[in-house]
Amino acid sequence: MTNSSNCVIAASNIVKVYQNGSEELKVLDDVSIRVLHSDFMAVLGPSGSGKSTLMNILGCLDIPTSGKYYLDGLDVLKASENELADIRNKKIGFIFQKFNLLPRLTALQNVVLPLLYRGIDEEEAMELAREKLTLLGLADRMGHKPNELSGGQQQRVAIARAIVGSPELLLADEPTGNLDSKSSEDAMVIFEELNRQGNTIVIITHDVEVAERVKKLVYIRDGKLYENN
Amino acid sequence: MKLKQLLKMILINISQNKVRTFLTTLGVIVGTATIFMVVAIGKGGEAQVNEQYSRLNVGTIMVMPAQRGRVADPLTAKDAQLFLESQNIAQAFPLLRGNGDINYENYSASAGFAAIQPGFQESNNLVVGQGRALDEEDENKKNRCAVIGAELANTLTDGSPSEIVGRSISINNRKFEVVGIYNRVGDSGSGGSYDDTAFVPYSAGERFLLGARANPTIIAQARDIDAVQSAIEDITASLNENHRAGGAEQFRILDAGSRLVAAQESARTMSMLLLAVAVIVLIVSGIGIMNVMFVTVKERTREIGTLKAIGAKKQEILKQFLIEAVFISLAGGVIGVIAGFLTIPVLKYFELPALSSVSGVLLGLIFSVVTGVFFGFYPAMKAADLSPLEALRYE
Ligand SMILES: Nc1ncnc2c1ncn2[C@@H]1O[C@H](COP(=O)(O)OP(=O)(O)O)[C@@H](O)[C@H]1O
Ligand SMILES: [Mg+2]
Repeated sequence: MTNSSNCVIAASNIVKVYQNGSEELKVLDDVSIRVLHSDFMAVLGPSGSGKSTLMNILGCLDIPTSGKYYLDGLDVLKASENELADIRNKKIGFIFQKFNLLPRLTALQNVVLPLLYRGIDEEEAMELAREKLTLLGLADRMGHKPNELSGGQQQRVAIARAIVGSPELLLADEPTGNLDSKSSEDAMVIFEELNRQGNTIVIITHDVEVAERVKKLVYIRDGKLYENN
Repeated sequence: MKLKQLLKMILINISQNKVRTFLTTLGVIVGTATIFMVVAIGKGGEAQVNEQYSRLNVGTIMVMPAQRGRVADPLTAKDAQLFLESQNIAQAFPLLRGNGDINYENYSASAGFAAIQPGFQESNNLVVGQGRALDEEDENKKNRCAVIGAELANTLTDGSPSEIVGRSISINNRKFEVVGIYNRVGDSGSGGSYDDTAFVPYSAGERFLLGARANPTIIAQARDIDAVQSAIEDITASLNENHRAGGAEQFRILDAGSRLVAAQESARTMSMLLLAVAVIVLIVSGIGIMNVMFVTVKERTREIGTLKAIGAKKQEILKQFLIEAVFISLAGGVIGVIAGFLTIPVLKYFELPALSSVSGVLLGLIFSVVTGVFFGFYPAMKAADLSPLEALRYE
């Protein structure tokens, strides 16, 4: 067993079984995955292979049926509900396929939200949020609501929200799934740049073009993880 | 999240659906307004009762004909004298009241008049402001003089009352000399205000104004509160002895204390009934809030998932939805209180006494908040309990 404290993600023998009536569905079958600091990794697999299930477990949104999972040295499976919320707030930045912005809040209000849940002073939080939005080329869109933004812009707001609290890990589930090819390209450029700045990124995707851009690629099929295709 | 930011977010959410929010508040508006009105009517009724009885102390006993109109064997001033034979009775005055046209020079008023014995003035706190009071001599000589209420003096002189003292007025075409004006007492007791009444000596009133129609009331004063019951018994006995046609049966004997209690009781019953209505309205509106909050939670399930994904704790989601429910109901409460304030003049127009009060405002607002908390809690709990994953997946 490797020392888990020097990697961001150290998950071993993760099994996730769904109970569909009397039928058992093993969606993740003995998955082990390690992600080091500043890794830029993609998990590539076809639809239904268990990608989202894996991301939900890695993102502390779901609990595996069995296995071990350390995030930044913390034993996630021993954490309470509130501790999990804290971990999600401070250590993880989520980027969803459908952006998941709050429709009634402006871009700026959306980005500032994770910091507010952290209890950071509003002024300071606003400043950080503005900084990130500007970085992502949205300086003139901060006051816009999601439905006033293009898909690509919405995803950039979502990325700004994910990175605003400087988490240990960025988790993106099909981040380009709802984007046109131009916006997908923009998003990938952003991820590359963020990784260059030292961010640890895990992208979950079924898109080979996305997979080609990352530094480390693993494959998932029928709930099993493979280093090679 | 700090409260200020949470409130900001809640306001954004609420204001997004103004029509629904308003419809949700309607019930709370009605409920809160009702509670406010209950308190207002309660206070108004209480004030009115107290006002009406402020002149009568609790030892006062009124003897009056049991039915309006003619009595076979009416009360007389002599009955008052006879009552005084009882040890339990300190004072007894006959009182005649009537309505008529009162004229002074070019002015005329339709007002009440009262024929009183001199002692009536002190026992009813009637104080002469100008001129003199009615006295024993007036009574004995059946002097055609009058002391009038401040309001009546004002009406008759078109605002310069002092000139009327020493001049004569006519009451139902009978001339009386005004010898004084009473200070304002400001009540609105039954049978018209004393401020709007002309008082004449009893003997003169009996003779010149009412004649054979005289059918007086006797106002007696028990020696003290504990003597009221015995005094009533003595009065009954005296009436039985001196009035052959039916004896005491043909009269009503009321003591101020039990009338006050009865009046207060009925005012309170009214208040309790209205309060019950208000509480039912608030419960119904609370169920409305609960429904709307359930719908809201359902609609925002994915958002709740997102909030949890970015680090919102259970308590924070609970707080958010609970405060949202309280906001809606409190908004209804505030509007309801305002509506209550606006309704008071309408009630006054229909001669329902109503008094706005701080306690009415507070009670209304507290009830609205309690409604929001109570009925908002379960939906908020549902929201807080959502698993982040299930919530994120919700379509
Ligand atoms: N809550 C659940 N209950 C039952 N089956 C589920 C549940 N969530 C996912 N699955 C099943 O698990 C499999 C993998 O799902 P998912 O991880 O979403 O795949 P992917 O994201 O790779 O498309 C699918 O067959 C899906 O139907
Ligand atoms: Mg998926």
